[in-house]
This record gives sequence, structure tokens and C-alpha cells, in this order.
Amino acid sequence: MTIDLPPRWSLDQLRQRATSGVVVWATLSVRTRLRDVLPWPAVEPAQSLGADAEWLVVVGGGGLIDEAKALRESRPGLKLVVIPSIWGSGAEASPIIVLSRAGRKEIKISPSARPDAVVYWPELSKSVPAERQRAACGDCWAHALEGFLSPLASPELRNALAKVIQRILALPLGFDAQWFEMSALACAGQSLAGVGLVHGIAHTLEAPLREQQPERGWHHAKLCSTFLEPVMRLNQAGSDKWNQLLTEHRLPEKEVWTTLRALFEPDSFRAALPVLRQEWRGVLRDSCSRTNSVLVRPDWLERFECLTLP
Amino acid sequence: MENREKLKKVVEDVFLLQPGEFRFDLRRDEVETWDSFGVVSLAVGIQETFGYHFSPAEASGISSVADIITLLSAKGIKFDN
Repeated sequence: MTIDLPPRWSLDQLRQRATSGVVVWATLSVRTRLRDVLPWPAVEPAQSLGADAEWLVVVGGGGLIDEAKALRESRPGLKLVVIPSIWGSGAEASPIIVLSRAGRKEIKISPSARPDAVVYWPELSKSVPAERQRAACGDCWAHALEGFLSPLASPELRNALAKVIQRILALPLGFDAQWFEMSALACAGQSLAGVGLVHGIAHTLEAPLREQQPERGWHHAKLCSTFLEPVMRLNQAGSDKWNQLLTEHRLPEKEVWTTLRALFEPDSFRAALPVLRQEWRGVLRDSCSRTNSVLVRPDWLERFECLTLP
Repeated sequence: MENREKLKKVVEDVFLLQPGEFRFDLRRDEVETWDSFGVVSLAVGIQETFGYHFSPAEASGISSVADIITLLSAKGIKFDN
């Protein structure tokens, strides 16, 4: 099985094909750099577009990409091209839309939500702080591992995601242009099977952590990185599925744990635990938690608090 | 722990039931969390507890705790009163 990805264009192809009615949404941090390569001015992302818009080019992270995908759902015929400013979310490759609304995550799946094309411009992410780059790697890892372990994954999908895991094991936990393709594969792959508790925690805790601990700069990828090792430890302890599947797919367990440990942030984990306790009921009810590879039982909260981690 | 007690614990944990909510005649339409995600979670919990893996058709066809007992009993898992 090959994980299907949207067509990949170069910047030249984008400039040649998008000839009229082009609107560019871009996050503030990249707008200046866009002036040199795109002939269209970037505007503040908005909830609506003019009637004459034919193309929407989005340059940004997963949150902005998903807002654009949601908007396109109400504008059939609008062509959507995505230039991710950082790897990790893989939002440019999946039919899943995750929206932040009133402190909660709304998840929609629509085959028509997938962008029409993707342009990778890795230089955009070179200036991203190292901590953010590492967290983006954790986001990709969370998609790959949770999709691989998902109870809804077919044997063929597991094979495909195991290959992704093999490839990302060889990448540094920092800038490497290959992370873009790997993140797209991991995200498109997990969209066929679902994710698990790491994402249940990330979706539930992001808003309260941002509100209660603004100084820590919580965001989705940081939560995935922080909780990936603890959740996988509990998954491994809760069922022999972890060991069976890694062995079956010849994934080197020791190297996987070494990577998860490198992604783990002990201070952030300890800081998040009180909020995890406060929001635990919501985590249990989250749709991602309920497709975890191992049944997440209410008493797992105490197990998190008893984990022996550095 | 006897199988009836094990099943009660799985159903309580999967569907996040409050103490006293579980009954052996509980039906799917009485449980808010017994949705499509709950079906997946139930299948995972049953496999971990009883070692039997529901097929997708079996899992989605279950509409009560009694159905779970009937299915598992047919696989040789006993639920004596």
C-alpha cells in the first residue's frame, strides 16, 4: 500500500498555474519572505473571501491550514494550495480538519478537504527556533506511532506506517527537509485509522494550558512531544500489542524509545500533570483517546502520576 | 475475578459509567458514550480482557451487554450466574 498524498508543486508551478483570483493567507512571521517569491500580496487570514477568489494559497502551520480547509468546504471550486511553514502537523496532506472553537477542538473529516496541491519550501522553517522544530518532529512521531498502533489500522496501512517510522528514525530531531514529506505521510496515514491518547490529551489540554501557563508557550506539537513517551510507556504496560507489532514490523524498539526520550520534556510534563488531572474526564471522552491502541481506563491518571521518568 | 465481574469493569471503563449505572440488561441506546468510538473502545477492551477480537460486523452489531455475553459465550467464554 502507498499512502496517497496531494500533488506536489514547485513555487514556479504555482506561479504559472494560479493566474487570476489569487488570495494568499500567511502567518505574520513569513510574510516578508513571501514578497520575494510570490507575485501576490499576503493578507491577514480571514473567515471569508471575496466572490472573485479562485485560488487560496495558505502559508503557515497546521492551525491556519485547517482553517483554510474548513473555508474551502463552503466554497466548492476554490482551489487550495498549501505551503507549510513548518513540518509536523502534515495538515496539508489529510482530509481531517481540526478547528479550535471556544477552547475545544472540533474534528471533521471530509475527502474534499484535502488541498489541491502542496508546495514545500523548507527554507521557511530554517529560522524556526530549535525547540519548536523538535516539537514538530514529536508531532510527526505521534501521528506515525499512534496510526501504526491504532486498532483501526489495516495490516497494509501498518506496513506503510512502519516504513515511515523506519525513515524518521534516521532523521535528526531538528531541521531536515525530509520531515515535510514524512509528516505528510504520517498524517495522511493516520487519517485512515485514527490516532490515540497522545492526541486525546493534546486536544483536551491545549486550551487550558495556554490559559493557565502562558509563560510555557504550549501548543499542539509541544503537547504531543511531551506526552508521547509517557503514553507509549502506558500502552506498552497495558497490552502486549506494542511489543508484538514492533517485532512483527521489525522496528527497533530500543531506538524508538531513545527517540521518544529525546523528545520528552520532563519539566513540561510535570507542569502539565495538574491540568491533566483537572481535565481527565474530558481526555477520557475525547474521540482520539477512545481509539487508542489500548483501552484507556479511568485509573490511568494515577499511572501517569506514578511513571518513573527523568 | 469472574467473567461477569470482568465484563462489568470493561463496560464501566469503556463507557465511563458512574457507579450504579451498570446493568447486565443495559442497552446501547441508554448509554450516551456507546457511539462509533465506543464500539472501537469496547472491542479493544474485550480483546484485552477476554482475548477475543470482535470482527467489525460483530462489534457494530452489538446493541446491549446481553449481546456481548451471547457473542462471547458462543466463543466458549463462560458467564455463569
